[in-house]
Amino acid sequence: MSRVKDVAILGYGGYVPRYRIRASEIARVWGRDDDALPIKEKSVNGIDEDVITMAIEACKYALRRAGIDVRRIGAVNVGSESHPYAVKPSGTVVAEALGIPPTHLSADLEFACKAGTEAMQMIAGLVSSGLIEYGIAVGADTAQGRPSDALEFTAAAGAAAFVLGRSNGDEVATIEHVVSYVTDTPDFWRRAHERYPRHASRFTGEPAYFHHTVSAVKALLEETGLKVSDIDYFVFHQPNYKFPYAAAKVLQIPKEKVDPGVVTNVIGNTYAACSPLGLVRVLDHAKPGQRIVLTSFGSGAGSDSFLIVTREGLERKRNLAPLLDTLIARAKYIDYAQYLRHRDKIRTS
Amino acid sequence: MRPGIRPQEHWRSKRFRYMLEVLRCANCGTVNATRRSVCRRCRSTSLVRERLPERARLLAFTEVKSATDVHDEMAPYLVGLLEFEDGTRIVAQLTDADYEELRPGMEMEMVVRKIAQDGESGVIVYGFKFRPVVS
Amino acid sequence: MRTVYLAGVGYTKVSEHWDRSLTELAAEAALAAVRDAGVERVDAIYFANAAAEITSHQMGISAIVSEELGLSGVPSVRVECGEASGMAALFQAHAAVSSGLAEVALVVGAEKLSDLMPEEFNTVFSMTLPYETMGFAGVTPTAIAALLYRVYMERYEVPQEFVAQFPALMHRNAKGVPHAQFPFEVKLEDVLSSPPVAPPLRRLECTAPCDGAAAVVLVSEESVGGARSGTVTKLAGVSLRTDYASPFDREDPLHLSSVALSVEEALLRSGIDRDELDVLELHDSFSIMAPLVLESAGFSPKGRSGLELKEGRFELGGELPINTFGGLKARGHPFGASALYQVAELHLQLTGRAGKNQLDRAKSGMAVSTTGFGALSGAAVLIGGDSA
Ligand SMILES: [Zn+2]
Repeated sequence: MSRVKDVAILGYGGYVPRYRIRASEIARVWGRDDDALPIKEKSVNGIDEDVITMAIEACKYALRRAGIDVRRIGAVNVGSESHPYAVKPSGTVVAEALGIPPTHLSADLEFACKAGTEAMQMIAGLVSSGLIEYGIAVGADTAQGRPSDALEFTAAAGAAAFVLGRSNGDEVATIEHVVSYVTDTPDFWRRAHERYPRHASRFTGEPAYFHHTVSAVKALLEETGLKVSDIDYFVFHQPNYKFPYAAAKVLQIPKEKVDPGVVTNVIGNTYAACSPLGLVRVLDHAKPGQRIVLTSFGSGAGSDSFLIVTREGLERKRNLAPLLDTLIARAKYIDYAQYLRHRDKIRTS
Repeated sequence: MRPGIRPQEHWRSKRFRYMLEVLRCANCGTVNATRRSVCRRCRSTSLVRERLPERARLLAFTEVKSATDVHDEMAPYLVGLLEFEDGTRIVAQLTDADYEELRPGMEMEMVVRKIAQDGESGVIVYGFKFRPVVS
Repeated sequence: MRTVYLAGVGYTKVSEHWDRSLTELAAEAALAAVRDAGVERVDAIYFANAAAEITSHQMGISAIVSEELGLSGVPSVRVECGEASGMAALFQAHAAVSSGLAEVALVVGAEKLSDLMPEEFNTVFSMTLPYETMGFAGVTPTAIAALLYRVYMERYEVPQEFVAQFPALMHRNAKGVPHAQFPFEVKLEDVLSSPPVAPPLRRLECTAPCDGAAAVVLVSEESVGGARSGTVTKLAGVSLRTDYASPFDREDPLHLSSVALSVEEALLRSGIDRDELDVLELHDSFSIMAPLVLESAGFSPKGRSGLELKEGRFELGGELPINTFGGLKARGHPFGASALYQVAELHLQLTGRAGKNQLDRAKSGMAVSTTGFGALSGAAVLIGGDSA
C-alpha cells in the first residue's frame, strides 16, 4: 500500500448526546454485580435523535472548524450500523441539512464499528485522486444491544465527522498513510430485519478484535518504517475500557499514549463513531507536529489504521466548536425506564 | 387518522425545515417563511432566498403535555417563542433542556432533530428545533 | 342593502352525543330555528362546520344537510373558517339576504368532535394553526395560548388569577343552563389547581371536545312581517377580517387586529357605539382569549380586563355582561357551531327569552368569534326591542 498523497483534515467535529445511563443502573435491573462492569456509563440518544441528526451535529462542528465553502464539497459518506432507514440514504438528509449542493457523491456505509474510518479512507481516496475538492466522512451510531445482553452495558450513541481536502496551509492534520486488514470472521452480526445483533461472546476478542487491530497497526508501522516510540498517540476502537489497553500491551505501547484517545468509559461504545471520537479527543488535546495512529475495528471483521500528523491549523481551529469534553460534561443521567423509552424499546402497539 | 406526514409535503418544505431557509422581501424586509408569490406585508414580488441565523433569543416557553397523532409519542415536549437578531419571531420545539433549566432571554441555537415519524414504517420528518447554546 | 332580521334560533345541548351524527345534530338545530322563526320557506342554507372531512368522512356535506332537512333542491353551501365558521356563514347569509338574493336564509353550524381520540382532537385543533410553520412541528393551540399567556402576564405584570378567573365567570354563568356542556360552577381555585396542559395554561382554562349544533334564520325586511312579533331582532351589522396566521408575525401578538377591525366595522355598520352594547358574547377558547378579545376590541384598556372582571363589570348584573350562558368555556365550543350559539344566545337575551340568565333592559348585543388566535375574526351586532 502506498502513502496517502496530500490529504488533510481541514475540520473535525464530535457529537455526544446529553443523556447518560450508568452501567450500575443497567446492572441493577438485570441483577448483575457492580464490580465487573465493562465501563462506567454510556451516552444515550435523545428521544428526537438518530444517526442522521447526530451526523448533522458533528458535521456542523467539523464545518465550523474547516471554514470552507460547503458548495465545494464533492462527497458525503456516512458510516453506521444504525441508519434510520434500511433503504433510503442517511447521507442525503445530512447533505441537504448542511446546504451541500446535489452535485456530490453520497454513500452510506456499514461495517459494524469500522464504518466511520472506511468513510474517511474513501473520502481520502477521492481527495487524493483529485475527483473531489472536499469531502465529509462521518461515523455515527445509535447502537443497539439486546436488553440484558453484555452489549447493553456499552452500546452507545455518538457521531464524529471529518472534512477532508488538500492541504491549504491551515489544516488541522494531514493523513499520511493508511492500511486496512480484513478477513471473514463471524464474531458479531445482525441479520436483515433483526432488531438486535448477536455475537459469539469471547470469540469477539482474540481472533476478532485483537487479531485485526494488532495486525493493522503492525502493517502500518512496517510500511511507514515507524516505531511505537515515533508515535505520540494511539487511538483504538474501544468496545469496552479494557480492550484498547490490552491491544496496546500486545503492541508494547505505553498507557499514556493511549489514555487521551479513550472515551469509552464515560460515553460507551459509539460503534462507527467510536475510534473517530477517540481521534476527536486527541485532536482536542494534541499539539501541532505530533503523530497519531488511529485504528478502528469492525466486526465481521477488520481494521483500518491511519497515520495522522497534526498541523499548525489545529490550535487555531480547535476552539471554533465545542470540545468533546464539553459535550461529554453536559451529562444528564436517566434511569433504565427512561432509557428504554429513548431507545424505543417499549412496545406501545 | 394520520393525515400528518406525506413525503411530498415534507420534501417541498425541507429547505425551511432543515436550514430555516426563508424568502425575505427586498422591498420591506419582511420574512416569509413559506414559498409564495408576493410579500405578505407589501405585496412586492422581489423575494430573496436567505437562511435565518442559527442563533435566536428565547422570549417565552411552555411544555406541551398532549399532542397530535404524529407528535404525541414525543410528548411532553418544550415549545418556545424565539426572536432572531432582525426581530423575526418563530415558534419552535425546544430540545436538550428541561423545563426548569430554561429562562426567558436565553440564547438558543438551531439543531436538526426528528420532528415526527409516521409509525414504524412511514417516513421520518426532520426539522429545526432550538436548544441552549453548547459552547 | 336591505335590513336583515334574525327571526328564529335553534340549538342542541352541547354534549358528547354518542348516539347522534353530525348531520342529525345540524338538523335538530336547524328545524328548531325554522319552527322558531315560523317561516314557510328557506331560500338558501349556509352550513358552518370545520372538520366534517375528518370527523364524519364527508365532503360536499351541505347537500346532505339540505336532504336531512327535507329541503333538497335548496342551494346549500358549507362554510369552513375553522373555529369562526359560524360567523363566516352568518356573514355570507347576511350578504345573500341583504343583497336580495334570498328572502330567507338558514344558517346552521354543527360540529362532531367527540368521536375523535384525544390525539386526533389535538390534530384537528392544530389545523387551525398554519401547518407549514407550526403544525408540522407539533406546535399546538395549547402551546400558542400558553405563549400568549406568558407574554401577557409579563407585559402587564398581572398575576395568573386575573386571566384564570375568566373560566370561573363562564362557569358561574353556565350554572343550570340546560344547553351548556358544563352547567356547573368551577371556582378560581379549581381552575388554578387543575393539571397543567401547557404551563401556565391549565386544563380548566381550555375548552373540551364536544358535539353541538346551533342555527339562526335570517329574513329580509320585506319578509319579516310573517315572523311572530317580539321574537325578531335586527342583524344590524356583520364584519369579517383576517390577519397573519401566526400571532407572533403580527406587530403585537397581544393585539388581535382582526378582532379590532371587525368589531369596529360591525359597530359602524350598525350605527351604534361600543358603549351602547348591553351584552357581549366573546370567543374564549382558552382563558387568555377573553382578555385578548376584550382589550383588542376596545372594551377594556390593555391589561385591565382582569381587574374589571374582578370589579364585577362583566358579571350578569354588571355594566357589560359577557358570555351570559357560559361562553365557549362552559356552554361549550363545537367549533363550527360556536359563533351561532353566541348569536342565538344574544337573540334570546334581546327577545326576553333567556330564562334565569335574562339581563335587564338588554337592547343590543355583539358576538365576536375568531379562529387561529385572530387569524380570522368576525363580529355581529344584534339589536332588539323597539329599535328592531
Ligand atoms: Zn415586503
